[in-house]
Amino acid sequence: MGRGIAGYLAMLPIAVLLAIGFVTPIGIVAVYSFMPPRTFELTGEPTLANYAAAFTDGYWRPLMWSAIGASVTTIICLVLAWPTAKALERAGPRWSLAAAILIALPIFISESVRLFGTSLFMMPGGGILAGSLRAMFDISIGSILNTRLAALLGLIYIHFPFVLFPLILGLSLVPKDQVEAAHDLGASPFQVFRNVELPLAAPGAAIGALLCFVLSLGANSEAAILGGQAVTVATHAIEQRFNYAQDWPLGAALTMLIILITALVILPVMRRLDFGRLIGK
Amino acid sequence: MSARVKGPLLAVWLGVVLLLLYLPILSVILASMANTRYMRFPHRVWTLDAYREAIGAYDTVQLHITSLKIAAIVVVLATGIGIAGALAFARYDWRGRSVYRNLVLLPIFFPQPVLGLALLLSFTAAGLVPTWQTAAFAHLVWIAPIVTLVISIRLYGYDVAQEEAAYDLGASRLQVFREITLPALMPGIISGALFGFLLSWSNLPLSVFTTGADTTLPEWLFSRTATNYSPLVPAVAVIATTSSAIIVLLVVALSQATRRLGRSRV
Repeated sequence: MGRGIAGYLAMLPIAVLLAIGFVTPIGIVAVYSFMPPRTFELTGEPTLANYAAAFTDGYWRPLMWSAIGASVTTIICLVLAWPTAKALERAGPRWSLAAAILIALPIFISESVRLFGTSLFMMPGGGILAGSLRAMFDISIGSILNTRLAALLGLIYIHFPFVLFPLILGLSLVPKDQVEAAHDLGASPFQVFRNVELPLAAPGAAIGALLCFVLSLGANSEAAILGGQAVTVATHAIEQRFNYAQDWPLGAALTMLIILITALVILPVMRRLDFGRLIGK
Repeated sequence: MSARVKGPLLAVWLGVVLLLLYLPILSVILASMANTRYMRFPHRVWTLDAYREAIGAYDTVQLHITSLKIAAIVVVLATGIGIAGALAFARYDWRGRSVYRNLVLLPIFFPQPVLGLALLLSFTAAGLVPTWQTAAFAHLVWIAPIVTLVISIRLYGYDVAQEEAAYDLGASRLQVFREITLPALMPGIISGALFGFLLSWSNLPLSVFTTGADTTLPEWLFSRTATNYSPLVPAVAVIATTSSAIIVLLVVALSQATRRLGRSRV
């Protein structure tokens, strides 16, 4: 019996799971997106009316907010993650491990708990920050809760670790002697960053940026808990079409547009990356 | 900037990052120690009343049971599927492996609320009423690829020569798998299972769309932050997070004890 067969057998369970639970649902959404508006059958006359409605009826607005939010979040997370990754690298093995574990732990605390905590912190009047400042220094401050800025901060807070850890992995691929050689040859810190570290750490940074962009593009709890009524994001608009408006085909068309944006961003990067190399071999 | 200035500056930066990451969690703990209906920090009275109320409440127990049922099913299935998936990912050579490697990771790079909505639409179209069971399936679709990846990372450091030596000594396929492959993969399998448990336990975006009338802990917290706030909400948040930490610590302690036991037996 060849090893080839063992490989096929081993991939079978997950292939079946993803065929039923991932490919089929996306297929069903795709078919619904071409059905006549406000119908519930999958057998209607195919039409492009939902996609037309998505653009003419103002539904591009939530899509745009989600895309802008995801782009800004990705850029800010990258900018914040780079010095953090460098700091962890410099801290020496024991401290760096302890700090990395501390940074990773909150990922396993529910998003709803952490965002709830952020809103408690930001609350006006009796919130943790405003209340402490008033009690200790007699300073009254306003609040950014229920604004777009608060929703953006929530996105950055939740997705920061997803950029940081791939970036650390990427940076660990940069050979130390190359950095030292560049320094010895008289390169400025910026030149080392630009010409040595950045290109070598790029695969890690790319995976982190990709994860961050895609996850923020579909995120809705940040806007719901911290943004209040200030902004309607894409997934929230879709949910409204599905649940309250009972217009499945329009909801499906909006879903397909998000999937399309996701695919356009992911596929070119995925094709260039070699995951095997990044995770150790 | 000289390296001497840069070192302490980076350490301060790291401190600030950690502080910011933990401020919201600290805020939840502080908020739970009040007895007023509305949040007015600093509290006039500091009390643990909310915890007493939460532990006795039927709701809290029911929420924990629902979350636990989902997580248990997800862990068992995702670990089984993940072990096989990881062998195909990193151990066996087969045609189509590089395609498989990219495709199997796609769900991880997919927005969860969108996956949740797509599954909800499919369940409804198929005539299935969403319950905690459909939510477990939704979790599985997202978590099985992650567990596969976690176990695969462990597999990369795996020495195939041991297996071949066992075959040469006349061991059967099943024997090799049980005596060599599985023990070597155990640390990866345990981390994979823990990842699966924690990710299912804390999941909000998939549960929101796929649980139907059932409610998980993160969902309940999500709905109660917007309406009907009381110190009970942060108290339940602290209890839910602590109980998941206890479960993880128990599993880690148990696995280390069995490993020590196994080593002393040999």
